[in-house]
Amino acid sequence: MAFTLYSLLQAALLCVNAIAVLHEERFLKNIGWGTDQGIGGFGEEPGIKSQLMNLIRSVRTVMRVPLIIVNSIAIVLLLLFG
Amino acid sequence: MQPGPGGGAAAGNARHPMKRRVPLSEPSLGDPHQLFHDTSSAHGPGSYVAHRVPGGLGYSSPLQPGFLDDPMSNMAVAYGSSLAAHGKELVDKNIDRFIPVTKLKYYFAVDTVYVGKKLGLLVFPYLHQDWEVQYQQDMPVAPRFDINAPDLYIPAMAFITYILVAGLALGTQDRFSPDLLGLQASSALAWLTVEVLAILLSLYLVTVNTDLTTIDLLAFSGYKYVGMIGGVVTGLLFGKTGYYVVLSWCCVAIFVFMIRTLRLKILSEVAAEGVLVRGARNQLRMYLTMAIAAAQPLFMYWLTFHLVR
Repeated sequence: MAFTLYSLLQAALLCVNAIAVLHEERFLKNIGWGTDQGIGGFGEEPGIKSQLMNLIRSVRTVMRVPLIIVNSIAIVLLLLFG
Repeated sequence: MQPGPGGGAAAGNARHPMKRRVPLSEPSLGDPHQLFHDTSSAHGPGSYVAHRVPGGLGYSSPLQPGFLDDPMSNMAVAYGSSLAAHGKELVDKNIDRFIPVTKLKYYFAVDTVYVGKKLGLLVFPYLHQDWEVQYQQDMPVAPRFDINAPDLYIPAMAFITYILVAGLALGTQDRFSPDLLGLQASSALAWLTVEVLAILLSLYLVTVNTDLTTIDLLAFSGYKYVGMIGGVVTGLLFGKTGYYVVLSWCCVAIFVFMIRTLRLKILSEVAAEGVLVRGARNQLRMYLTMAIAAAQPLFMYWLTFHLVR
């Protein structure tokens, strides 16, 4: 039950890292989740799958640089304070 | 004898005995124990005199007289107060960038009648007919005037009360220590964050065009603390049976409350009126509403079962 805000931050960092390492060409295309396989026209219904693909692509684009910074900070802090 | 500047003003305004003004410009002279300048209304009746807290809690020099005679400390005090004023200005200018203060003020515009009725609605939502939030020129009406509007006062108070009750429960079982209180608070806050983030994510994935803001979701997720408090207190008084009875009652009540409130916001207008609308999209939205509502009892149980032995 020791679910603190700090462990929440750690879990969030790990999740965002996991999304960021999904490789576009080697992996996502092979399972049909590539970004150019998505959009099916102008329908009103984007659908869950294309929303997810959009989300993954935006997370990978936006969080690339901040993740470098936050990961470095986390590494330094964990090395120093365990 | 002379009762001070207030009495002098009263003697001067003998024709208006009810409007005896306590002059606001000299609180430090005539009233060293007044805690703050009450500028909310220009003419308060003598009731503001009652705000004096005896016991030396005033700002103006609780120290020995003669301390301010030294010019150096005089300068230090002046410098310090100018720094503080400057900092306050800075904070006031920039606070709106980080915390939407005006939006938050809407959620705290409550009064006692609203709180009472809303608490009753949270525990017994079965008789309430009209769940629609009233609007006034595109702006939702303040919670004070509409019982269906979400507010942040009840969730905030319920959260703090939950932590205190958790401390009490742990204390009766000899398991209390002050850092456990902080742990409880942090844990409940973390679960709240997880829940709000999960709801936001699922709302995004299902592409619901709704006017539910994040703060609304925070408010709705905070309503379950009321039931949790009730459950834990009954568990303390009447043992495990009482806890289970009250908790299941509050779980069902919160489930119904959430479904009826969210149905109007998430589903399309036609479906919200009870007409069975076919279509994958509405079905998905209905599942989403039920999932959100079903998560509340789960959290209520998870966050309280370890408190009642």
